[in-house]
This record gives sequence, structure tokens and C-alpha cells, in this order.
Amino acid sequence: MSAAPMQGWRRAAALATLAAALAGGGAAAVVMAAEPAGTPPAQQRPAGSAAAQPAAVDHCLGCHTELDGPEAKGFRTDVHFRAGVTCAGCHGGDASKEDKDEAMSPAAGFRGKPRPAAIPEMCGRCHGASASPFKTRHKLGDAAGAFLGGAHGTALKGNAAGPQCVSCHGVHGIAAVSDPRSPVYPTNVTRTCARCHGDPAYMRQFNPGLPVDQYEKYLTSVHGDRNRKGDVRAATCVSCHSNHAIYQVKDPRSAVYPTRVPETCGKCHSDKARMAPYGIPTDQLEKYRQSVHGIALLKNSDLNAPACNSCHGNHGAAPPGVRSVAGVCGTCHQANAELFDKSKHRAAFDSQGLPGCVVCHGNHRVDRPTDSMIGFGKGSACESCHANQPSDPAASIILQTRATLDSLFAGRAEAEKLLSRAEQLGMDIAEARYSLKAVNQAQVESRVKVHAFEKGAVEASAAPGIKVVSAARAAALAAIREYHFRRQGLGVATLIITALVVLLYLKIRQIERRQKHEER
Amino acid sequence: MAHERRVSPVEKAIRERFDLSYVEHMAAEKKVPQFRGSFWYYFGGVSLFLFIVQVVTGILLLMYYQPGEQTAFESVRFIITKVKFGWLIRSIHSWSANLMVASVFIHMFSVYFSRAFRKPRELTWFTGFTLLALSLGFGFSGYLLPWNTLSYFATKVGTQMMAVVPGIGPQLMEILRAGKEVSTATLTRFFGLHVAVLPGVFTLVLGAHLLLIQLQGIAEPESWEHDRGARRRYMPFFPNFVLRDLLLWLIVLNVLAILAVAFPWELGRKVDTLASAPAGIKPEWYFLFMYQSLKYFPATVLGMEGEALGVGLFGVAGLMWFLVPLWDARTPAGLRNRIITWLGVVVVMFIIVMTIVGLR
Repeated sequence: MSAAPMQGWRRAAALATLAAALAGGGAAAVVMAAEPAGTPPAQQRPAGSAAAQPAAVDHCLGCHTELDGPEAKGFRTDVHFRAGVTCAGCHGGDASKEDKDEAMSPAAGFRGKPRPAAIPEMCGRCHGASASPFKTRHKLGDAAGAFLGGAHGTALKGNAAGPQCVSCHGVHGIAAVSDPRSPVYPTNVTRTCARCHGDPAYMRQFNPGLPVDQYEKYLTSVHGDRNRKGDVRAATCVSCHSNHAIYQVKDPRSAVYPTRVPETCGKCHSDKARMAPYGIPTDQLEKYRQSVHGIALLKNSDLNAPACNSCHGNHGAAPPGVRSVAGVCGTCHQANAELFDKSKHRAAFDSQGLPGCVVCHGNHRVDRPTDSMIGFGKGSACESCHANQPSDPAASIILQTRATLDSLFAGRAEAEKLLSRAEQLGMDIAEARYSLKAVNQAQVESRVKVHAFEKGAVEASAAPGIKVVSAARAAALAAIREYHFRRQGLGVATLIITALVVLLYLKIRQIERRQKHEER
Repeated sequence: MAHERRVSPVEKAIRERFDLSYVEHMAAEKKVPQFRGSFWYYFGGVSLFLFIVQVVTGILLLMYYQPGEQTAFESVRFIITKVKFGWLIRSIHSWSANLMVASVFIHMFSVYFSRAFRKPRELTWFTGFTLLALSLGFGFSGYLLPWNTLSYFATKVGTQMMAVVPGIGPQLMEILRAGKEVSTATLTRFFGLHVAVLPGVFTLVLGAHLLLIQLQGIAEPESWEHDRGARRRYMPFFPNFVLRDLLLWLIVLNVLAILAVAFPWELGRKVDTLASAPAGIKPEWYFLFMYQSLKYFPATVLGMEGEALGVGLFGVAGLMWFLVPLWDARTPAGLRNRIITWLGVVVVMFIIVMTIVGLR
């Protein structure tokens, strides 16, 4: 559209407004007055796209402002109106026709009020996958496509009461996301989501198993607290779940699918600039990736392994308190936590304000525990509080515990090595090797019992395993001895048989010589 | 020159009760031709020795072996790990079985090439060939008994071949398998065959075979028959040949001991009937030439199923081989029929080449 006609068009509209104002009333004048005020700036009008071509005079808005009142009036504040989208842009028809039947004629493409299920498709004419100069100008992505492919789109396909675009964005007074009036503005969006997700009767239609207390929990979280105080940088529902491409948690495409949770949290928590105002470290994700939990979840794809939300909560996300760390770890490591709670360490840690498990194991970077943690020297966890001196009564327990674990684990490794050697020699050691499976239980149990921090606790659990290890070791050594015995036996037998062969040969020669002699 | 021989009290006691003159006469008269090919005569004795080893070790294994789904594999494992010298007995049994089949094959070909099957020894040939077939039956049935994965699938493939016999194939296979599939019922059936039916039949046929040799004497080389002037040398059967036989038996025993200790026969993994067949499954080496040859038959030949044709051809060839004394025509001059030699060479080459190809 060239600049010259636009200027002419604006001038005519201004004149009409002035005339109407001077006339001081009448329906026609109202319509005419509405036109220039409601006419979007020419440079913002959509052109040649799914959106309607601008009418020189938007009769739709004029009449509907008069007839429907608030809805049409609300459209004047709508972000679309400001971008040049007219009523016909969504509802179709010919806004230039004053006659109702002509303006709202199906022949002119009038669609009227769309069915709920048809709304995403309607919005998708601009906010969809198709390309148009209007889309390019306003940098519109495929929000409709993402919505329809997600959980909300699926819900809508199955039930007309399901969510669609206007459920979150409003209808005629749609504001930009950055506009505080928008229901999807950061400080509003959680309430908007909760309108449906906090309504059990509504949610029952789609997913009766889904909790409806997310918003309540969110308000208790650090994120919720900051959001309530007006911090638009604090995480809201869409920060984790995405805005349009929302999938169920069990869907691998979801940003909150277990294996994607760390990366989703890390989007903000690894961002130094973003976290700077809060004074929060940003190395949690990196540490987590190297941890035993991170390796299990991200490398081994073990969906049972904990992600960030397993310890911090998801909607009610907050760091566990000093007293609750053991409880948090104990949701998975139950036996360890119970032993720890009953141990002397509980009271000692509490009195010094030490947060239980993480004192020895760390928090985000939880390494695979090794037996070297128990004892003194490299890798020791005990050494930070205890000393290897007679004056420390715990020292003997620590050393005894370590010795017991060594004889179980190192003993098993040695037995396995001997069994492999016997096997390489061709001996059948299947039974002894199978018996070592029974040691697994003792190994797990004795490592758990470490958390009792008591004399004899580990020894009692390790004893049956050590017995099996000793038997397997003995069996391996016996098999190796048997191998050598067989070789030696073979040597002796071969010698005897060979001697017999020689003797027999000599005997035959003797007989045959005698026979020859007799023949002569 | 007769010596005054000292008679032991035991011999004296026996002589007082039995007339041993017939046995003594037989022992004194029995002779073995001595010529360049005499060496091949010993393979009959070696086969006999290995059969005795099989019987002895088999009886020892039988004291612990228990056929059954939950016991067959386990009892063999028990034998090789818990029973004193069980590992040795089992290993010797397995190695000896293989050596016996090899020895019987060598014995058969030596008889064939020396034309010892000709009149009047047709029956000896027939019984000998039957003993070879029974030996293969021993091998096939015994292979399944440890109930390990290899033996299970090899038996499955082996019994499957029966199904291609025109008309009665599927029924034959079902009889052999004691059902539609190889199962513990097959195991029990093979056990029965291996420890009762085959030993009984084998002993009878072997008795007949040895009796025939005793009655007809050991075949002389063909050249002696045609060349009246040939120098004929004989070796007394007792004690010369017997002692030499014994010497060879000792050497074979030594070889057997070395094989059994240095290369103990593996037990493998227990059968998992639901698992897929291991890659490259093959039958025992003595069936390999047939198995390999059948692979070269096209899917269909002149409207016939290729495999069925192959099995049929092997059947006919086996029957022809068995009946060779009946169709081998002497030349008008009474000389050797060279077709027999060439045919034998072709068969030996075929078996060797196919076995080598199959082993690779």
C-alpha cells in the first residue's frame, strides 16, 4: 500500500470525525465517529494475508460498539486492533459494507462467532505455520500449531470445554504478554493457569488424576513468593512447562519430562546474569550432571533417578531446610536415613546446625560413595570431624568398619579373580561363581549399616557375605590345585602307559626273535 | 622244540574242568597275513577297544546321570564337578566316542579299498556297516543327553532332516522326537536308545561280526589270490598280533588321556527352549559332510524339494555302499574292479572336502 493513498484516507477519516462531532449525535454519526477513532494506524494494517483487508470504514466495529457494548469496545484496546487487525480479520465478512446482510454474508467469508474447537485454527491463520508478510512483520511463530500438538490441544480435540487460545489470552481485549493487563503477564499467568488447574470439577473432565493444588504449592515456593511480590523474572508455570507447546509430564517432548527437568531448571539457574540479583550460585546443573544421580538419569536414562524436583519439590520448589535434608534424601534412601536418625550423628549434627546427609555426600554433586570415605586419609569423609587418635573414641569404630568392608569387597574381588583364573584353566567354577550372588545382599546391607555409626553394626551384616567369599575363594584355589593335580596325574599316567608300550614292544621283539630262532 | 611248561594252579584248575583243546587249536592256527597294508588291520581292534572304553565309562556315567528337564544338565555338572574323577570319565567318554566313529570309518574304508567285502565275507561287511550306522546312532543320541544349548539345537536340526523323507517323513520325525518338538520326551527317548536299545543291538551285531571273522579268518590281500607265486607271510594271531594290538590300544589310551585332560569336553549352557538358535549351529563332525552338502541343493529340483532330494540321494548312496558286495562285479580275468577304487576315492575326497568346508 503506497503512502499517498494512505494519507488521503486518513485525512478523509479525520474530516468525517470532525463532521460527526459537529453533528452531535445520531447513529450514523456514531458509526462515523467510531471509524476514525477505531481505525488502526495505516502502517499497522495487515496486508494481503489471512487477516482482512482494512475497510475504508469499519462498519462492524461501529455497529457492534453500539449493539454489544463492552466486547466491541474492549477490542479497541486489543493488541490486534493496534496492529491493524479488524473484526473481519477474525470473524470474516466485509467491514466496508454498511448493510448488515452484505457485511455478514457467507459469500463475503463471514464466519461469525467460531466454535471453541475452531478457535485455535482461526487464530492460527496468523499465529500458525503459514507464512505471510503480516506474520513476518510482527514476528509471529507457530503458537497455534504448538498448542494443538500439545496436551491442551489434545484435551480440546476430545472435549469442546477444553482450553483454547482465548482461555488464557482473553477474547476482545487481548493484551501483549509484556502488558501487565494481560492474563499471561508473568505476575498474572499463574492465576490464569490456576483458573482451570485449580478447579477439580473442571479438571476432572480431562485428567481426574492430575492434582489441582499446583497454584497453592506455587505460592509457598520461592518462585511463587517472588512472583507475588511482583518479580517478573521469577519462574512461573510457563517458565517450566512452556507456553504453547505444553505436554504431559510423561511425554518425552515435555520440558518437565524427568530427563529434561535438570536442563529446564538450568535454563534460569545456570544463567549467571539472571541469577546475579539473587546471589544464587549457577553451578548446580554442572555439578548435578557429574553426580551419581545425574549420571543415572541423564546418561543411563534411569527415570527413577532423582532430578532437581525430586529434592526441591516441583510446584512448591524450595531448598530443603537443614533439619529436612535427611528426610528428603530418606524418601529414596530410607534405610540409611532411618539409621542416621537413630545414630549419635543426628543429635551432634543438629546441635551444630549441620544439614545431615549433605555434610558427607554433598548436595548437587553427590558422588558415588566409596569405602574410602570411611577411614582416614584420601577421600575420607570422617576426617573433617574425627581424628585418627586414641583420644577420639570414634576412631576405632571407623577403622574397624573400614576393615570389615575391605574384607568383604576386596575379598570378593580377589575371589572373582581367582575364579576367573580357574575358569581360564578350563575348570568348572559355575557353582562358586553363582554363590557369590548371595554376597550382593551383604554388600548392600553392610554399606547401609555404616550409617548407624556403631561398633559391630557393619560386622553383623558383612559376616554372612565374608563367609561366602571365603568359601568361593577356597573353591577357586581348590579348582586351581585340581587343575595342576590333573596335569601331574596325566604326566604320571602318560609315563606309565609309555613305559608299558616300550616294555610291550620289547616283549614282542623278544618273542619274535625267539620264534625266528625256533624256526631256524 | 617243546618246553616243559610250568602250569599255574588256576590254569590247572581250569584245565581239570574244561577241555581247552579247541581254543588252543584255534589260537595256534589263527594267522594274520603280513604285508605292506597289514597296518590297516589294526583299526578293527582299535574300534573294539574304543567300544569297550565307551561301555565302561558309559556304565560309570550311568550311575550318576539322570535324564529330565531339571536333572539332565545338572547331573552332568555334578559328575564333572563333584564326582571323584567324574570329569575324567565324562571327558574320556566324549573323546572316545569321537575317536571310535573315526576309527570305524577308517576300518570301513580299509576293508572297502582292500575289497575284503567280497565273497565269502559279504555278511561281515553287512554287519560292519550296521555297526557303523549304530555308532552314528550312539553319537547322535548321546550328544543330546547333557541337555545343553548346542546339543538341543543340533538335535532339532538333525531330526528335522527326517521330515523331508517323502511320505512318512513327518511321522518318522515325530517318532524320533517323541512329539512334534524336541523336548524332554525326546531326551528320555534318546536316553533309552543310548543306554539300552543301541548297546543291546550293537553287542549282538558285534558278536556276529567277530564270529564271522573267526569262522572265515582274516581276509588276505587280493594280490595273493591272483598271484600264485606271491610270497605269503603270516603272523601268528596269538601272541604276535594280539600283543601288537595291545600295544596300539595302549597308545590310543595315551592319546585319549591326553585329549581328555588337556582338552576337557565342555558342558556348555543349559537348554533354553525359548531362546533362538545360536549362530552357526552345526552337527557333530561325522554328520557335517551330509549337512554341508544339503546346503548346496537348490530349493527345488525338477519340482522336488531340494533338501528332500538330497536326503534321498544320501539314502540311495548309503544303500549302494551297504550293498557293494552284491553289485561289485569282478573283471572277467578275476582282477580288481578299478571302478570300486575310484568310487571309493571320490567318496573319501567328498567326505573330507565337505567336512573341512563345513568346519570353517
